[in-house]
Amino acid sequence: MIKFPQRTGLILGLMLFAATAAFADSHVYKLYVDGLACPFCAYGVEKKVGGLDGVEKVEIEIEDGLVAVTLADGATLDEATAKQAVDEAGFTLRKFEAPKK
Amino acid sequence: MKLTFIPAMQATWIGVLVAVGVVAATKPAAAHNPIFTPGPHVVYGGGLEATVGYSRNRASGAGERETEQEVELEFEYGLTADWTAEIELPFVDKDLNDSGSSGLGDIVLRSRYRFLRLDTPGLQRSAAVLGQVKLPTGDDGRTPRLGSGSTDFVGGLLYGHESRRWYYNLAARYRLNTVGGGGLEKGDKQFLDIVGGVRPVLTGYLEPDAVVFLELNWENAGRDTLNGADIAATGGWELFLSPGIFATYRNVALRTGIQIPIAHGLNGTQPESDYRFKFEIKYTF
Repeated sequence: MIKFPQRTGLILGLMLFAATAAFADSHVYKLYVDGLACPFCAYGVEKKVGGLDGVEKVEIEIEDGLVAVTLADGATLDEATAKQAVDEAGFTLRKFEAPKK
Repeated sequence: MKLTFIPAMQATWIGVLVAVGVVAATKPAAAHNPIFTPGPHVVYGGGLEATVGYSRNRASGAGERETEQEVELEFEYGLTADWTAEIELPFVDKDLNDSGSSGLGDIVLRSRYRFLRLDTPGLQRSAAVLGQVKLPTGDDGRTPRLGSGSTDFVGGLLYGHESRRWYYNLAARYRLNTVGGGGLEKGDKQFLDIVGGVRPVLTGYLEPDAVVFLELNWENAGRDTLNGADIAATGGWELFLSPGIFATYRNVALRTGIQIPIAHGLNGTQPESDYRFKFEIKYTF
């Protein structure tokens, strides 16, 4: 049986985790990229998208053609800028998902 | 002869290091093109790709045995997202019947323009035109000659299909040769290439990746002429079967392959290709 202090700690921990996840999601943009077939090609997307203002991290899932872009606090990314960066990398932006506020 | 080749190789590595330093702040680059067949992939605007390559070709027959080794430094720069400028700097070591020479070969300037790109999820199909000029920078007064002494031109059409699993490439090129040293004009040459490739293991980003290629390369040359007169035992066609592999990790790539002659129809009695081997390391900035 979980005692009161332990239970409180567990709840607080879960709340902190949820808050962190929500905070992280609020900075993650999802770019669905067409034409992405190989890891070597993906490096170009990482460099081009990663070079945009405010971008802290770029994660790529080639299988889904998904590029997850994490921005710094206060930074934003619009679809036109993302589309241009992806195009310059030699691919096509199919879908742009901004984080839910 | 081999000793004279070593400084050339050292110069190449020094050149690579200098290039790395100079372009440290530049941007990313290309994708999978086959080993012996030019592909439609281009470096995008501002991107730079540096390649160091080694190749070894041997031909024998008709009382001759010619071995050519080449260390090559190549840079590809993206003028725009679809248009590149490329330069190839070859250092050549040739051996003909135990007589050898080595030094700078013919520098090649090349440009590719990708005029078609069709992207769907996990698949890219693209087509490009190729233009190339070979400059007479190799010494054609040496024996064997390090360059043709002529300015030659290549035009071509390239197509590529690149998916997660399968690769297909087609290329057609024409090389227009002009008169070189001593009044010798090599016959014009046509190239047709068909390529299939497969990625045996579907890997993710930041994982080592490999694509295995099998190319069929056909080359047909017209007869050489000397001061306007045909040389009988020159020209003809050769067909090569060329297995190769393109292995990458993030922005570093290794490409290697060998061209094995499987059929030919050469005019008269002349040396035939025994093999052509190529190995390259690419770095994308």
